[in-house]
Amino acid sequence: MPSQRLLTATPATANGNAAEIGASVSAFLTAKGVPPTQAWLHTFLSGVRLTTPVIALQQTALFQIRKADLQTSITRSPSNLLPPGTTDPATKEKHVCGPITVQVLDIEDIGRSRWSQVEALEALERGETTKGREVIRVVPEESGPDSTAVADEAKSSGPHKLLLQDASGAQAYAMELLPLKGVGVQMSVGGKLVLRDFTVARGLILLEPRNVELLGGKVEAWDKKWREERKQRLKAKAGIGGER
Amino acid sequence: MPVARVNRVLCVAEKPSIAKAVANHLAGGQVTTRNVRGNPYVKNYEFQYTFQTWGACTVTMTSVLGHLLSHDFDARYKAWKSCDPSQLFEASIDDFVEESKQPLADNIQSQARYCQILYIWTDCDREGENIGTEIRSVAVKGNPSLSQPGKTVRARFSNIERAHIINAAGNPIALDEAQSNAVQSRIELDLRIGASFTRNLTLSVQPMLRQHFGNDDQGVISYGSCQFPTLGFVVERYLRVRNFVPETFWSIKVMHEKDRVKVNFRWARNHLFDRMVVVVLFERCLAAKTARVTKVQTKPTSKWKPLPLTTVELQKCGSTFLRLDSARVMQVAEGLYQKGWISYPRTETDQFDRDMDLRALVQKQTQGGDWAQFAQGLVDGGFSLPRSGRNNDKAHPPIHPVNFVNPTQLNQDEQRVHEFVVRRFLACCSEDARGSKTDISIVFGSELFSTSGLTVLERNYLDVYKYDRWTSSQELPRFQEGEVFEPTEALMSEGQTSPPGYLTEPELIALMDANGIGTDATMAEHISKIKERQYVETRARARGARQGDDDDGAASDGETAAGAAPAAGRGRGRGRARGRGGRGGGGGEDRGATNGMQEFIPTTLGVALVEGYENMGFEISLTKPFLRKEMELKMKAICEGRKTKAEVVHETIEQYRDVYVRTQQRLDTLRAAVRKYCFGENG
Repeated sequence: MPSQRLLTATPATANGNAAEIGASVSAFLTAKGVPPTQAWLHTFLSGVRLTTPVIALQQTALFQIRKADLQTSITRSPSNLLPPGTTDPATKEKHVCGPITVQVLDIEDIGRSRWSQVEALEALERGETTKGREVIRVVPEESGPDSTAVADEAKSSGPHKLLLQDASGAQAYAMELLPLKGVGVQMSVGGKLVLRDFTVARGLILLEPRNVELLGGKVEAWDKKWREERKQRLKAKAGIGGER
Repeated sequence: MPVARVNRVLCVAEKPSIAKAVANHLAGGQVTTRNVRGNPYVKNYEFQYTFQTWGACTVTMTSVLGHLLSHDFDARYKAWKSCDPSQLFEASIDDFVEESKQPLADNIQSQARYCQILYIWTDCDREGENIGTEIRSVAVKGNPSLSQPGKTVRARFSNIERAHIINAAGNPIALDEAQSNAVQSRIELDLRIGASFTRNLTLSVQPMLRQHFGNDDQGVISYGSCQFPTLGFVVERYLRVRNFVPETFWSIKVMHEKDRVKVNFRWARNHLFDRMVVVVLFERCLAAKTARVTKVQTKPTSKWKPLPLTTVELQKCGSTFLRLDSARVMQVAEGLYQKGWISYPRTETDQFDRDMDLRALVQKQTQGGDWAQFAQGLVDGGFSLPRSGRNNDKAHPPIHPVNFVNPTQLNQDEQRVHEFVVRRFLACCSEDARGSKTDISIVFGSELFSTSGLTVLERNYLDVYKYDRWTSSQELPRFQEGEVFEPTEALMSEGQTSPPGYLTEPELIALMDANGIGTDATMAEHISKIKERQYVETRARARGARQGDDDDGAASDGETAAGAAPAAGRGRGRGRARGRGGRGGGGGEDRGATNGMQEFIPTTLGVALVEGYENMGFEISLTKPFLRKEMELKMKAICEGRKTKAEVVHETIEQYRDVYVRTQQRLDTLRAAVRKYCFGENG
């Protein structure tokens, strides 16, 4: 097709041809921890204008790959997948170098009872946090000995337990040993993390700021579903007594 | 020097006791008392007094009994079936003197004829300002000249102490029309909205209740724009308790014995709701074997003395410490004020004015009572300026004792309230309690734990304010930063969350205050109203039944979380909603002073109303506070001159009319809720 030939044969622009651009974008993404598959790269390139400056294309690629399912977008190699036996509870401790790229499938606040989280969601639904219509349900503590202030857990959240998935589809639980910036129930499902130099204890990955890089992103469909079903899931968990 | 003309001044107070007290202070004992025809409570006190402003005058001091005027719809709209309730939003309203008050009005009108000045001595708050304008309107009928500028004035006073009253008499101010207008608008809005919604509600629901229970006893089901949100809080908490699901949590406990002292360290994470995670963390702690001390810090600490006393605080403390409900506390406080023992009990101010002579007031309390010695101590050098809160309503100071009175002169309830006011005041004028606190933190594995010890060094205000507690903990053994030890005991524990308790009165008052509904003057009334209308009942809280939401180690007491549905209405459609475990005892009635804290349980009707309106949708929100809060804010705006009465009435009517129309469309939702809760039908 004439237009395609035109595209591939435009050495006059400062950006070179599709192959070069592709290589440049791929290298950039790989360095970020998300090495793209050829198929993904091809789809990406066919959807952009190759005359765009390479730096902008790199950012766009990162932006898009962050919104994709890892299982279909990045190349797998033993070095960027969770090692076999990661989730084995019989192993007391295991150290993993990484870097391993994972996506977040689920986030739980295990510092608050599920019931109090359900109540908070219901208050939100009733519009009690809408500006101008706020209903204050927690009042400052009394100083009396019979103080009966309800210890509502409207306080800050955490720690959080995450369900992570690598590019092969393998899943593992992780928890915030120390608070991680950007991690919480407001976080998007499908968001990407790169883990380096971490410990797995009895199958539970221990996360600290020094071994986690938050790439961000989300998978729209999963996130939507997660939010819609959240209250239901919390209720179910509370009903069973919350035991894992 | 101008020749002093003999003028006549008519003074009118809000209550007979105030009139009598003021008259006696001003007259110095030379008072002639005359009866008022048609009313045995109100008297006319005549005496001579030299005013700073007008010179020597003959004074007649009398009073009314609260509001002089009543308001109701024009005769055409009075009968319930006379019109569609929504017409009441616009129907004309008559102001008239109710029959029982006619003698008072006649008295004022006739006395006014001989006077050149009308001096209003109603209580200095919004209602008092409004009553003042009512008195003026009646007086003007007997003497039109009183409506001229400067002919009607008002006294500003906060207590009935002699020097204060004489000072007030010499410094009259003008009536605050803005405040009076605010009250006028409230009266009109309460009438229009209250009546229209009440009629609508009753006509929709009363027939079904009567029919179901087969009697004609079922009375009016009334609506009030403040009562409903208040009821809303009670029901919401009730449902929270009943729907509560206990959850298990796990925690790590570390105990170390040193120097014969067993020190318990508290986990920084408190507890977690995931067993697997806690097991993993616990294992890692054990693998570490030893714990290391990361911080040892001893520093001075203090427990602050209380803030000066406001009405809301008095009501909360009354419920908590004195076991008197808010209505009773206010009633008693009002009595103490009228007798001149305490200052005006309706105030939002929690800061004392710089130039108030607090030491003199403390001095008065050295004369007797259990606190005499403490007061003497303050006079002898222990005095300290009170803390200042953030509120000042500019009308009255914080509630404080004005004179000394021997407690034996007071009845039991009065003694308790009076004692509280005195102790609180003396506490305000004391020093904070001082102590020393030691905080120790350790790291064990990856987990942080801490403990702290307190030594109380100076009790100060605590010695007089017996309502606060602060005690030394056990003494901690010495630890050093960097010290490493193997904990004596480390274990994993399990516990369950337990539900909050039903709302107690202090909590309800706090919620009303925080959400801006009701003013200090009206909160107790609203609470009384929902009890009176049988939307809620009170019962004594069972001892030890309730703990915090996630109290460590609190085991569930075996009651099923779901509980039974509220008991179906008995006879009158007002069955009591079943509380957890259905403990009813005989606590259905509200007793003024009881041993246990009172908690509120909604009746089946109360729950039905709230659920019914809630289900109608978010925009309706009659049981949520924001509509009423907006009204209160608008009233404040009238007082501050930012809005006119006409604007506020119009805006608010439109808001409620909108809600009215929507509720009309969804009445079936309400009826369904009544069927569900009052009749016990499902769905």
